Amino acid sequence: MAGPDALWEALWALLPRTKEELKLELGEKVEGSVVMLLQEAAELFYGDKRQECLQTCEALLDYSWEKLNTGPWQHVDKDWRRVFSFSCLLKAVCLCAPPGDAASVAAALKACDMGLLMGAAILGDILLKVTAVLQKHLPSGKRPAPDPSQEPLGIKKARNDHVPIPDVTSERTVPRLHCPSLQYFREHFLDPGRPVILEGVADHWPCMRKWSLEYIQEIAGCRTVPVEVGSRYTDEEWSQTLMTVDEFISKYVRNEPKDIGYLAQHQLFDQIPELKQDISIPDYCCLGSGEEEEITINAWFGPQGTISPLHQDPQQNFLAQVGAAQNIGLPPPPGPATRGLAALCTFKH
Amino acid sequence: MAEERRGAWFGFGFCGFGQALGSGRGRQVHSPEPLRAPGAGLDVCRVSASWSYTAFVTRGGGQVELSGFTVGAAGGCRDAWASEELLVVLRTGPGPGAGTELQAWAPGSALRGEPLWAQTVPEAEREDGPGGDETQAGPLPLLPCARAYVSPRPPFYRPLAPTLRARRLELGAEHALLLDAAGQVFSWGGGRHGQLGHGTLEAEPEPRLLQALQGLTMAEVAAGGWHSLCVSEAGDIYIWGWNESGQLALPTKSLAEDGKTTAEASGLNEDGSEVKRVAGGEDGAPAPFIAVQPFPALLDLPLGSDAVKASCGSRHTAVVTRTGELYTWGWAVARKASGYSKDSSTEKTGPLASQTHLYPHGEEVLLQDCEEVCFHDF
Repeated sequence: MAGPDALWEALWALLPRTKEELKLELGEKVEGSVVMLLQEAAELFYGDKRQECLQTCEALLDYSWEKLNTGPWQHVDKDWRRVFSFSCLLKAVCLCAPPGDAASVAAALKACDMGLLMGAAILGDILLKVTAVLQKHLPSGKRPAPDPSQEPLGIKKARNDHVPIPDVTSERTVPRLHCPSLQYFREHFLDPGRPVILEGVADHWPCMRKWSLEYIQEIAGCRTVPVEVGSRYTDEEWSQTLMTVDEFISKYVRNEPKDIGYLAQHQLFDQIPELKQDISIPDYCCLGSGEEEEITINAWFGPQGTISPLHQDPQQNFLAQVGAAQNIGLPPPPGPATRGLAALCTFKH
Repeated sequence: MAEERRGAWFGFGFCGFGQALGSGRGRQVHSPEPLRAPGAGLDVCRVSASWSYTAFVTRGGGQVELSGFTVGAAGGCRDAWASEELLVVLRTGPGPGAGTELQAWAPGSALRGEPLWAQTVPEAEREDGPGGDETQAGPLPLLPCARAYVSPRPPFYRPLAPTLRARRLELGAEHALLLDAAGQVFSWGGGRHGQLGHGTLEAEPEPRLLQALQGLTMAEVAAGGWHSLCVSEAGDIYIWGWNESGQLALPTKSLAEDGKTTAEASGLNEDGSEVKRVAGGEDGAPAPFIAVQPFPALLDLPLGSDAVKASCGSRHTAVVTRTGELYTWGWAVARKASGYSKDSSTEKTGPLASQTHLYPHGEEVLLQDCEEVCFHDF
């Protein structure tokens, strides 16, 4: 592993050279006092006053965190999320000042992840770049050694067939088609709002052969992600919490977990671009009425027995399943409730 | 009503904006220190503190002094209320018969130039009867006439139904609490963190009576960012809302994860000794964490003390007891001033404790006469 100085140099290469080049560009919603404090943090940062900078960042993080928690998430002004991201960035880099240690780098990575999860993009997605550098500099001891006795996800499926499969009569099952044309799909399923299972579409995606628990841990084990704990989100004991992917897998996926933990509806591929390279966006997605930028990709990652209660999504959905089978129930047509129903795309590993 | 005693002012907490706290060394003051009030010896009768600045109101000239991110002063003010979005002052017009004007200023203006908004407001109605002054409407954000209150977000002027007979009003980040003349508590606004106390997470558009407190007479209310508190005439504390930083003095996950015990979130044992134990039930299993408390819960202070005044910051809480002690808990208290749960000045100089009010704000705590406690923001 390269020394802490190499890490420090690599991080500085990503940052603006001077305080003046660090463009905050915050709108009116952010109070003058916060802008001043952020400018002060930048001054301390470029003035090598790391401890004071960290203290100032903590105050900024606490204040902006409260803004992020005020009112519905959709109404949180993006500038507050940027303030949060700036503070995460300065904090993360300060933590990596030499002499660094593994704990500081892990803390810096967590700070970056908080900025990615709750903040908004700044300085050309700098948090993603910093995260990539940090991951390269994590000491090898931090990573779990791949366990040779573990099997890839797919093979596990055949052995764990304890989940009862509902008996569904043929008229009520969803039709399966192999790679229909875009036009056929649009005419028969997208426009009338009917569900369908598309086969063969994702066979060539790298995730089909690459994804296993070990692989996920290798790529993203130390990354902090949101996890839902509890059987269903309509239950009283249900809660959301943050933990690393390593912690999530060891606590809620492997080793006969006591509780249900679910990494659900999280834009994991925006946070961890390395995983995004293993998947593709099906061509069918381009048939939607919205812009391509409006396509969101969410991940669900969990053990057997995770349940999402019946719900309605505002957008049309494509669901791609890697690993064990999943039962999905859909309310019957017709009626307004069926608009925007998922077109399903499951396939075997 | 007894004459207000002059007390000494103390402060501690985050002062990264140069607020006049204690010695002002560094950006944090960990234990109460005498306040470097603007103009030493000024007779400060009211303090309102926001995150980045503080407003002091003095007797006599009715001067408002601002300290911190914004610095300035103006005369003719009888009350001030500081928030990050807005500085609100209540100004008496010159000469008798001139009305009272409510003014809303941008904090950065330092009371120079023109206010963003101003309106003449009716005076308080005189009430005959015992304790006349005490039944008058309390300080801002409640207006003297008790028919309306000020909000930091538009609309600034918000009417209240006269039937409410408001005595005190406190604002949280997304909710409002009202104490009426009969000692009943009402709440309204956002409820996502249980801060309304009606047992759900639903919002309430209009003031709604807290049924759970029926039959009890409250003397004080205080609102934090997302939690609420009231103190009964008998000295009991009822608290509800968000507990993610231990601001309700209940076991909280975040503190446990930071390595702090839940005991540090709740302060002291019943006999007053400091508790250092890991959160645990009788069978050794970890105690359940409470993130949200949607109903009022009774909170016992150590030593069975009675509370008289309370105040809340955005995520922490402070209470002053009848015997003049200060207890604080929640965010920043556990993190930055860990273990601090008692007014340390009591140990230094006995008589001072009984003569000091407590006005904490931000992470700042301004002490004066241990008769009132005021937290604001964090």
